[in-house]
Amino acid sequence: MSHDHGIVVPAPGAGFLPHTVAHHFDSPTQEFQSAKLGFWLFLATEILLFGGLFAAYFFFHQVYPETFRLGGQQLSWKLGALNTTVLLISSWTMAMGVRSAQTSQKRKLLIYCGLTLLGAAIFMVVKIIEYKAKFDHGFLPVFGGTDYDQATHQLSWFKDYHNVMVGVQNPSLFFSIYFTMTAIHGVHVLVGAGLIIWIMVGAAKGRFHANYFLPVDLVGLYWHLVDLIWIFLFPLLYLVP
Amino acid sequence: MSSHDSHDTHKAHGHDQQNHGPHHVTSSATFLKILIVLLILTAITVITSRFDFGSANLLIAMLIAAVKATLVISIFMHLRWDTPINKIAFLCSFLFLSLLFLFTLADQATRSMDGANERTRAPVDKEWQHPSTLEKPQ
Amino acid sequence: MTTNAPAMGVATGSHDTVKKNYLEISKGFWSWAGTLDHKRIGIMYLIGVSLALLAGGVFAMLVRLHLWKSTGVLFDNATYNQIFTLHGVFMVFIFIIPAIPGSLGNMVLPLMLGAKDVALPRLNLLSFYLWLSGTCLALYAIVAGGFDTGWTFYAPYSIYTNQAVVSVGLGIFLLGFSSIFTGLNFIVTTHKLRAPGLTWFRMPLFVWAIYATAILQVLATPVLGITVLLVAFERLYHIGIFDPRLGGDPVLFEHFFWFYSHPAVYIMVLPAFGIISDLISVHSRKPLFGYKLIAFSSIAIAMISFLVWGHHMFTSGQSSYAMFAFSFLTFFVGIPTAIKEFSWVATVWKGSIALNSPMLYTLSFLIIFAIGGLTGVILGALNVDIHLHDTYFVVAHFHYVMMGSIALAFFAGVHHWWPKMFGVMYSEFYAKIACALIFVGFNATFIPQFIMGSRGMPRRYATYVPEFEGFHQASTIGALVIGTGVALMVGNLVLSIFTGKKAMQNEWGGVTLEWLSPTPPPLENFYEQPIVTTEVYDYTTLDLRTTQTPCS
Ligand SMILES: [Cu+2]
Repeated sequence: MSHDHGIVVPAPGAGFLPHTVAHHFDSPTQEFQSAKLGFWLFLATEILLFGGLFAAYFFFHQVYPETFRLGGQQLSWKLGALNTTVLLISSWTMAMGVRSAQTSQKRKLLIYCGLTLLGAAIFMVVKIIEYKAKFDHGFLPVFGGTDYDQATHQLSWFKDYHNVMVGVQNPSLFFSIYFTMTAIHGVHVLVGAGLIIWIMVGAAKGRFHANYFLPVDLVGLYWHLVDLIWIFLFPLLYLVP
Repeated sequence: MSSHDSHDTHKAHGHDQQNHGPHHVTSSATFLKILIVLLILTAITVITSRFDFGSANLLIAMLIAAVKATLVISIFMHLRWDTPINKIAFLCSFLFLSLLFLFTLADQATRSMDGANERTRAPVDKEWQHPSTLEKPQ
Repeated sequence: MTTNAPAMGVATGSHDTVKKNYLEISKGFWSWAGTLDHKRIGIMYLIGVSLALLAGGVFAMLVRLHLWKSTGVLFDNATYNQIFTLHGVFMVFIFIIPAIPGSLGNMVLPLMLGAKDVALPRLNLLSFYLWLSGTCLALYAIVAGGFDTGWTFYAPYSIYTNQAVVSVGLGIFLLGFSSIFTGLNFIVTTHKLRAPGLTWFRMPLFVWAIYATAILQVLATPVLGITVLLVAFERLYHIGIFDPRLGGDPVLFEHFFWFYSHPAVYIMVLPAFGIISDLISVHSRKPLFGYKLIAFSSIAIAMISFLVWGHHMFTSGQSSYAMFAFSFLTFFVGIPTAIKEFSWVATVWKGSIALNSPMLYTLSFLIIFAIGGLTGVILGALNVDIHLHDTYFVVAHFHYVMMGSIALAFFAGVHHWWPKMFGVMYSEFYAKIACALIFVGFNATFIPQFIMGSRGMPRRYATYVPEFEGFHQASTIGALVIGTGVALMVGNLVLSIFTGKKAMQNEWGGVTLEWLSPTPPPLENFYEQPIVTTEVYDYTTLDLRTTQTPCS
């Protein structure tokens, strides 16, 4: 219910829009802190959601260490390191973007958001290259068929054309975990990219400035979380200890 | 219930908070320094993984990742300057996650010690085999 | 609690739009379907979860009727498996988990805090629609072939069975996020929107309970989300994490599932504790005995519940050492729970007890929960559980907690806040009869199940040895009595909206903030921001006139 009596946070100058506080808040600070606490709690749920996958990783790493070591060697650590670097830099540009919003620098905000978006794009392209390579080796579920043959106990998706995963137990398990983790992470990258585009649209209109930058702040936190998860995924998957 | 004069006082109050209140603006130099440290730590992760420290490799990799995560959380995500409740809200997730790790992994690690695994494991009529060891159909 | 707010219903000088109550302020489908008002969202949840309860109840009746004879009466075995699975899924995920937070929590929590709404109203509406979508997916799964895994979705059966597990799994994923967002919203609301003067230890215990629940919802539910997602991937892509044929481990599934589902028991029961705490004080006209103890015990239960999930896995093949640890830790749950039970009994003692229908439900709760809780301690003992695992003893135990305690507390809360929500009173006469029927029927249903279970009757079986026929028939008759009681209760409540007499402004003489807002409340709940100056449950501050003034 948008009420005409909401508190208005003024724009800091020309080219910026004022912000109307939702009717059920008593002050802009209350609104800001409520949204912020809510978002931190949401990020906590994300940690626990990914946590289940990490628990599965550690569990099977404990059971089949050799499978994981050999599996990790099939991934390109160079591409992984490249993506890590890209994501870290994009995290930095995002932090700078939030800073630009806090200091009412509209043009800089747009540039930093654009750079972050570029980082997301590079990350996804590298990811696709990687997935393609795995597919060529006969490791990728989904596109390689997903049947399970009861009679021979064979997975149609796990082909291992070059016989590189011989001599270890249940090699398909490593790739299952690799694809599940990176795919769910990839979905988060795409969602983050969508949110950044939304921020850029608002920023172009002048919605975000020193007096009101809450959405930029929250999207920034989301993007850092995506980075945070990758920080753990990289050594676990590509440099399997 | 929200009369107009009370809004005016709130407005002035809220304004004040927005400008010098809870929002910490970090300097660009700090952000850049953190980025450089993060990249160096990534390089260290890659380098240490080239050496074989036995089971310590996992520990080293996770420790470096934890340091990187701490930097991202505290500086990039501003949690260092955030309110105590936000700190608790986010960091709690790691506490409870560690419980999931602890019991699940402890169960796995101690299963073979008492033979329970052998005793109760569901019989699998045929174990998985590598595709290359099977005759190709057609 | 006193406030600076004028006596309800007599605010002066406000615009008409402010004075209209939330039910009348706007009309039409979209004014409800698109509402951001916590009270309307609460009503939508109330209708939704009640329908889910009725659906789950119908499935329960079918199960009971089928078991009238040892050979089974109604279905073939495969259909029976689907029917009890539907009963479990509807009752657990679609009814009990959202029931109290979604309906009564939404309705009452912001009022109790003196807030205009929950902190994040859009997210609140989103969680309702996530609940609706999840429910629709579960309904779709019935059409798409049904599911027969039990509500626990144990791997590897859930991976192998040839049924619509993916749709219902995704439904539960959505229901999970609905629950997460509700909890998240309540945590933020409790932290940020308390009225001036409403310190943490002046909050009603219902708020404390919902807050503790919310912690669990936020921290445990994501693990369920990833678990059902992995089961779906398992079926779609054969990833093998839970599939022993591919080197996976079904016990890992159980760890993930119970990491959520044990705390989920408290997601279900803590709000019930909250209702009971509040109602027992109001209807005994006494401040709660051990207010702080009850408040802290809610938080303690929430924390301990993360340490005990393995007690559901004593026969699953987890390591003996883990079993020992889980069994040992389980006993600690008994401490905060017993603190609550004793505090409630001590509150009733020498109180000025009003034996109206909410209080009758509350007292029924105290008796049933004592049995449900104590049989839980029995089951927590490792050696005893090996014998009782997967028998009707377990079924009876958790129905004493789920149905006998939580559903009864929900009914108590609905009867208690009904005049607040709709401004009308139901027939007390029929409400009391319904309560009596439910109480008697409940015990008649589940006491035989305790006996059967201790003699080895396994759960989830479509047929059984003839010697248990008498017990099963007694149980079925009890279930029919519950069904009659619930039908009478629902009829009585629904009818009151059309024919009930006007409720009083403060029907029960409560002194928590929700009774200080006009009945039914206006859009922003209070005409003026309430300011709290007295301690919680201080009945000396009660303005008796408000219990005799009919609502507007
Ligand atoms: Cu349990």
